[in-house]
Amino acid sequence: MWERIVEEAPAFFTYWNLIFLLKALGATFLLSAAGCLFGFGVGFALAVLRRTRGLGLIWARWLAILFTETFRRIPFLVTLLLTFFVFQALAIDLTLFTIAVISVCLIATAFIAEIVRGGIESVHQNQWDAAEAMNFSYWQTLRLVIIPQAWKVIIPPAFSFFVLFIKDTALASQIGVVELTYAGKVMNNKGFSAALVFGTILILYFALSYPLARFGFWMEKKLAPPRNR
Amino acid sequence: MNYTLQFGQVTDHLPYLMAGALVSLQIAFLAFCGGMVIGLLGATIRSFGPRWLVRIVDIYVSFFANTPQLVQIYFIFFALPDAGILLSPFSAVVLGMTLNAGAYLTQIQKAGFDSIRREELEAAQTMGFSLAQQVRYVILPHIMKVLFPPLSNQYILMTLGSSMAAVFGVEELTGRAMTINAMTFRSIEIFSITAGLYVVVTFAATLILALVGRYMFRAKMRIV
Repeated sequence: MWERIVEEAPAFFTYWNLIFLLKALGATFLLSAAGCLFGFGVGFALAVLRRTRGLGLIWARWLAILFTETFRRIPFLVTLLLTFFVFQALAIDLTLFTIAVISVCLIATAFIAEIVRGGIESVHQNQWDAAEAMNFSYWQTLRLVIIPQAWKVIIPPAFSFFVLFIKDTALASQIGVVELTYAGKVMNNKGFSAALVFGTILILYFALSYPLARFGFWMEKKLAPPRNR
Repeated sequence: MNYTLQFGQVTDHLPYLMAGALVSLQIAFLAFCGGMVIGLLGATIRSFGPRWLVRIVDIYVSFFANTPQLVQIYFIFFALPDAGILLSPFSAVVLGMTLNAGAYLTQIQKAGFDSIRREELEAAQTMGFSLAQQVRYVILPHIMKVLFPPLSNQYILMTLGSSMAAVFGVEELTGRAMTINAMTFRSIEIFSITAGLYVVVTFAATLILALVGRYMFRAKMRIV
């Protein structure tokens, strides 16, 4: 096993192979980043929607709850395949990468909606009452009172989720998206030993995720709200 | 749009899919139990072990928590045979999930250990509790209350995570969905039903775990 790895390493770590792997690494990052950024926007909207009390929005509120609860409980692989086949049936010509991003968006939206909701609910009810007593509208309350306090609670777990999802996007290889895991399969199929290929892939994932995770920890310490309120 | 939904062919296979759901739960359960053992060991070492051992556990946790479970299983399934270790798909998946879960469960249980306050232990010692009594009446009830919600979440996530066993040919819920898809080509119907089954199974599991937590450990968990 080790002899084979040592023997194959020079042929494996050539310039073009490294370029291929680095591009795949970029695709992995982009997949998660694009999905989570979009997911943050929509998730935020869903979380705010759930907090409203108007009767006119009651159906929208229930749909938001249904969406969140449903997509949090479906594995990414199933969402991915479902998205892939739905677009195929609709005969809409999308790249595989786009389909994967859409799948990531769906999952990310559901999870981040929950994270944002947790952040909003972490602000004490007194704040809402005080704003109401001062005749703030719902949106004024949200923008001027709640969000400034809630974002410190929202950002760390949202970032952690983004880092977590970088790893989950490995499953996009199942529909042929050329990201890091798929690149590994290509190299393995070329005849390189699985230990060398997947070992390298694991190290590349680690090199991408670990610094981001450390940054997440740092951000968590920096932003940690006072525990007594 | 030429596609017409035909659920008839798929509902015929519903019992087959539901049996697959049991396999998913089985995989998650086995990996969770293995992960709990590793987690307990890791958390104990981190809390009470020598520095060099703590360093090793830290490296294990960092590496396995920052790399994809899928690639970990690829390594176990495709690379180990070169070293003479040949595992069945099921074994490879359970082993991979166990090692991956072990990293997360180490962190969860470490947090549980950290949640014990010194005052509680000192009070117990003042009342003449033996070490076994301290563990039985003071430490365990507290830790279980603190740990039950995150452990429940971890179990649910592992049930969902077991779907990647399908990649290795294991016939759990997603794997069986792929098999039926290959037979019937009713892709949207099959994966819609599969998604629905996952929602139902995990929701039921959440409900059961919430009830268990409430009445056994006095842990409060929100369901929706």
